[in-house]
Amino acid sequence: MTATRLTRVLYQATFLGLFLWLLARLAAGDPRAWPYALFQWFDPLAASGVTLAAKTLPAALALAALLLLATVVLGRAFCGWVCPLGTLQQLSSFLLSPRSRRESLAVNRWRRWYALKYYLLAGFLAAAVLGSLQTGLLDPLSTLARGLAAGAWPLLPGGRAVPGGWLAVGLVAAILVASRFVPRLFCRAFCPLGALLGVFARFALFRIERRGGACTDCALCRFACQGADEPLGAHRVGECMVCLNCVPSCPEGAIGYRWLGRAAPAPERPDLSRRYLLGSVLGGLVAAPLLRAAGGGRGAARGSLIRPPGALPEGEFLQRCLKCSLCAQSCPTGAIQPALAQAGVEGFWTPVVVPRRGGCEFACTRCGEACPSGAIEPLAAARKTGYDGRPPVRIGTAFVDRGRCLPWAMATPCIVCEEMCPTDPKAIWLDRVEEPGRDGRMRSLARPRVEPIRCVGCGLCENRCPVGEEAAIRVTSVGETRDPLNRMVLGS
Amino acid sequence: MTIRHEPERHTQGAGEPAEGLTRREAVVRLSSAALAAAAVGAGTLGFFERRRASAAEPAIRDWRLPVQGEAARAVAARGADAAANVRRALAALGGMERFLRRGETVLLKPNVGWDRLPEQAANTDPLVVAELVRLCRAAGAARVIVADISCNDPGRCFARSGIAAAVAAAGGEALDARRLPMAAASLPGAAAGLEVIEQLLTVDRVINVPVAKHHGLSRVTLGMKNWFGVLGRGRNRLHQDIDRSIAELGAIFRPTLTVIDATRVLLDNGPQGGSLDDVKAVGAVAAGVDPVLLDAWGAVQLGVKPRQLGFLVEAEKRGLGKGDPGLVQELGKA
Repeated sequence: MTATRLTRVLYQATFLGLFLWLLARLAAGDPRAWPYALFQWFDPLAASGVTLAAKTLPAALALAALLLLATVVLGRAFCGWVCPLGTLQQLSSFLLSPRSRRESLAVNRWRRWYALKYYLLAGFLAAAVLGSLQTGLLDPLSTLARGLAAGAWPLLPGGRAVPGGWLAVGLVAAILVASRFVPRLFCRAFCPLGALLGVFARFALFRIERRGGACTDCALCRFACQGADEPLGAHRVGECMVCLNCVPSCPEGAIGYRWLGRAAPAPERPDLSRRYLLGSVLGGLVAAPLLRAAGGGRGAARGSLIRPPGALPEGEFLQRCLKCSLCAQSCPTGAIQPALAQAGVEGFWTPVVVPRRGGCEFACTRCGEACPSGAIEPLAAARKTGYDGRPPVRIGTAFVDRGRCLPWAMATPCIVCEEMCPTDPKAIWLDRVEEPGRDGRMRSLARPRVEPIRCVGCGLCENRCPVGEEAAIRVTSVGETRDPLNRMVLGS
Repeated sequence: MTIRHEPERHTQGAGEPAEGLTRREAVVRLSSAALAAAAVGAGTLGFFERRRASAAEPAIRDWRLPVQGEAARAVAARGADAAANVRRALAALGGMERFLRRGETVLLKPNVGWDRLPEQAANTDPLVVAELVRLCRAAGAARVIVADISCNDPGRCFARSGIAAAVAAAGGEALDARRLPMAAASLPGAAAGLEVIEQLLTVDRVINVPVAKHHGLSRVTLGMKNWFGVLGRGRNRLHQDIDRSIAELGAIFRPTLTVIDATRVLLDNGPQGGSLDDVKAVGAVAAGVDPVLLDAWGAVQLGVKPRQLGFLVEAEKRGLGKGDPGLVQELGKA
């Protein structure tokens, strides 16, 4: 292994390790304020998507500009040296591939359809302009974090199931398997972040340079080329991931990565068809209202659409959510799950609170601290609980199902929900009654009732209710702080 | 699969320099990279934390004009002709010219809540609304807008109440209630967090034109209760403390003029009614600048003592007007 390649592999291992370590600390409930969303902060796809959708650039995401500037100097070095999903693909391709050198030669040729990623990027950004942020569906950092949160941590001892996560796991698995057949197929053809970096890499000051005189057309440089960017022929600097495999592979020393490297001859065909580009922009502009029309919580509130505490109003939330699952990873109880249908098609994979999976701990504010884009605002514990004197942050309201509740329907004592209720005074109070049983003898029962003005919708009651699959006390989103129209009680 | 190694067709021109770039090429490369970097920087700085101007929600304006001289605060006209009643009442108040300036936009807020015919007295009489449109136009109003958020399908309500046609014929515009733009406004008290009809924030004058009806919860529905109809989703919460809510709405919305339609009144099964047995032809219209006084007069037309109405007592206590129906100047029959 040459020094160049060793250096690159060390970088890749370090960044993959850092990515996994941050996710691990987040899941472990580490109280220290590590920069959990470090990778997302530097993600220019997230930053540009949120900026177009919300018409404002959250301060945390401004770091992404540094990555774009680095790309203008170095090319897509992020893809080849930093991106953890890229590293895993490269690993999968390296470990699983039985390709011969001849096959490698064919599989690392540039294909015209690899331009698909640019069309996806154009479509995503066009939809974002209309307020529907969908970049997270394919953003490699969101994709990997989401896949691991749903597919890796649940497998660890004590891991909690993420029932809505199998599709997110499946996407990561498909990306890794595809890389066994075509190295970094996702990066080459699908990655919208790679496409955005590719747009800026066209200006790269450092780039692969081939000295024509020394080259013997042996094509050894293509055997391990990650980006299918044809260092031998018309080098495509926008596709090049700066893996630098080509440099040491050249027996003649004809290839270098140099400052103001000589511009490659223009590719024989244009990378992008103007017609397709226009089509994908129009597609994105049509998709945004279409997704919205397919339901969701924008127009009318939905009972099961319970957002984490501190979440912005639904419209603004959907302009910012990166679908990265960091909030779910941070949740100590497993209450936060990726939405399948709760938030409509538009809100697919956005976070929802599922109280049967976990209750929202009263003074916990980790999801807002983990959120990279401000879709969930960071809350102080005193603000969330209302101990600062203002009303607490509510995410819903609990309702007793009198047909299932043990004291209400079965004349059986039970006070679990009242016991779990964390507010002060408790939102759940006990109505003590004397009631004749089947044998006619009187028994005293304590029936739980909810005082809606005190309930914060944390769902601890629903989570601990002993009535099996479907609890006898359940939370719906009504009363949530973030939506002034989703209320029921006068003056609340 | 057979893989042939096709030799690349290099465009290796004879003039290709062995080393580096020409000065011209280097300048072009460096300056385009600098431009790209500058664009990134400009975009970052331009959008950095640029929250959409979260301007404070507009407050509801006071649409009243100062009362000059010794004009009556409220007058009532009686007779079989509803339009003539409106004209006489307005004339006694000093003419519509007293209540608007030339070129102003006026919004009329009738009760068009229900899919009912005029004879059923669930909505404001179209003749009353149309006559007010005409008077406003004659007094120089540039636009006369008629708006309400109906309880039944708004298209049916505006059509079957006769109000859509009457307003159009009189030179006004009934807003398409199926897609009424709503806006956030800073509403205090019970109405906090609700939205209002957007035009309400931009028009110059507002005339409240309720019909006098029975109501199952507040006993009667008149002028102050009529403001429910400018509120959007969530207004159904106000019923949890209806008397206080109505009085609060009376404090928030201060109309230029209140015109109570008692041409026909609904005495029972309100507010939608239905049976003609519940309808009584009173043949009266009252108009004036004191909403509490006019609601008290309306209650009397329905056979209810104003003292028995919680919202009226509450509104009077808040100093929104006088609840004594005796203060209304009766013009008698034409």
